[in-house]
Amino acid sequence: MNSIADAIEPGAAVPRAMPSGTALVTLLRREFWEHRYLLWVPPAFVALLLLLAMFAHVEIDDMPVRVQAALTTLTQYLLTAVLFLIVVAVLAYYTLDCLHAERKDRSILFWKSLPVSDGLTVAAKFLVALVVVPLGAVVLALLGHLLFTAILTVRAAFGGLPVAPVWDTLEWLRNVALMLVLLLLAMLWYAPVIAAALLLSGWARKPFLWATLPPLIVLIVEPIFFRTQYFWHFLQYRSQGIWEVLARGIRMPKEDAVPHSIASALFANLNWRAALGDIDLWLGVLLALALLYAATRLRRYHDET
Amino acid sequence: MTAVIEARQLTKSYGATRALDGVTFNVAPGRIVGLIGPNGAGKTTTLKALLGLTPFDGELRVLGLDPRRERDALMREVCFMADVAVLPRWLRVSQALEFCAGVHPRFDRAVASDFLRKTDIRLSSRVRELSKGMVTQLHLALIMAIDARLLVLDEPTIGLDLLYRRKFYDTLVNDYFDKQRTILLTTHQVEEVENLFTDVIFINHGKVALDASVEDLGQRYQQLTLSAEAAARARALQPFYERELFGRVAMFFEGRSSAELKPYGELRTPTIADLFVAKMQGSPGT
Repeated sequence: MNSIADAIEPGAAVPRAMPSGTALVTLLRREFWEHRYLLWVPPAFVALLLLLAMFAHVEIDDMPVRVQAALTTLTQYLLTAVLFLIVVAVLAYYTLDCLHAERKDRSILFWKSLPVSDGLTVAAKFLVALVVVPLGAVVLALLGHLLFTAILTVRAAFGGLPVAPVWDTLEWLRNVALMLVLLLLAMLWYAPVIAAALLLSGWARKPFLWATLPPLIVLIVEPIFFRTQYFWHFLQYRSQGIWEVLARGIRMPKEDAVPHSIASALFANLNWRAALGDIDLWLGVLLALALLYAATRLRRYHDET
Repeated sequence: MTAVIEARQLTKSYGATRALDGVTFNVAPGRIVGLIGPNGAGKTTTLKALLGLTPFDGELRVLGLDPRRERDALMREVCFMADVAVLPRWLRVSQALEFCAGVHPRFDRAVASDFLRKTDIRLSSRVRELSKGMVTQLHLALIMAIDARLLVLDEPTIGLDLLYRRKFYDTLVNDYFDKQRTILLTTHQVEEVENLFTDVIFINHGKVALDASVEDLGQRYQQLTLSAEAAARARALQPFYERELFGRVAMFFEGRSSAELKPYGELRTPTIADLFVAKMQGSPGT
């Protein structure tokens, strides 16, 4: 019965793994194949804003040049802020859905038939939400700024606007740097939120329900029965805590004292050291790692079929 | 002699039910093994244990590796195909090739493309646009392109029509299987594939009810077809199962010689399907 057994020596020549870089890139691409809204929702939104810029009525001609320049920067901030709100919504959906979707359609059995570790799979999903999509949004925001200014300039050239927007390349670059640093801080601060959503996605049969209903119940019940609002404060803290640390003591400039460079002013006045040294920031990062480990274990052994 | 699979006393419970109750068996290289059992017998749980998809107790080596600890290394050498529903519906055929090429060190994209060229499947199609038969072909194309030593198939042709089923197994045996490879297969349609098997393992109530090569089966088991009168006398030889069909009786014996049985009626080696039914119906405690 075992005539050809000699030909094979189990475990002797296990082929080497794919370089994990190649595997990771493949896993990242897979996420965008599966969740195509990650690719088109943010650009569609920016396109919509640009469309508005083409037709919106703007009245800035009676303001001093410095205020006009500040307005250009502020418009850029606004565009970026709204874009990131959209990205947050998209990512909330993605993180709650991605580990759930593969269980729901049972495709997890196909993915698991390939030599990809659960850790790498979970890491890929985490990186999509934490790094890839936000960085894509930054690039998109920069493109948006350029196009936005170009549109207004063209409108001014053809007489549609009284004056062209003031474009300051150096200031723009400073803002890019500012945006990237803020993004880094945001990644660290929100990492545990993303990891928690992934864990929920890998565990619950109805992750969207679990993500909304229990918190809502606690929000309503806690003040009634305990006359406390710890949970509400906790939610508030995790959404904006680090920004409060960062912006502590900063005052809004009056209109006649607009700084020459808003970005430089922010760089100089924000409490970077306090924010990066915040103990809750790093505890959150540790918590994120623990949650990711739990999500990996869960995917490894969650047996539903 | 080294086995592809060595399983000793595999045990697993889902709550109060024992899915695996001391499952023990070996699979040698170059065999096509049928893992056969009624629903809920523990077939799929056994496969999941082999593939490191579920925790269990007991000793298990697959290709010399422990599926619990060395799953990632194991999956480089093992191909696995559950029923057709598991290919994600959003996946494009081209993306399936791309993905496998990106994560599997032993995936040969050219082989898969060649195989697909012989089908009606287009590279730009999504899985959801393909018929069940085509999805199976696609999955088969991926498997054919992976140079694996163990292929595990769990009801791979469920819900397919006869033509696709036949084509599936023909491809498997003619183009895929060789003496370097081992195939472990569960199926409900035993009649269709029984010529394929070199070995069978019957599993029932989480226990191995029979584990033998097909050659050995012919030596060990006899099916005797005889008239009702002859049956009354033949019962003295203790058949472990009998059933009546059109006034004739079919009796199943274990370990009797042909010389003993021949005088009573028509003697032959039972088919695997008949033997399975006989074993399941005839064994005590079922």
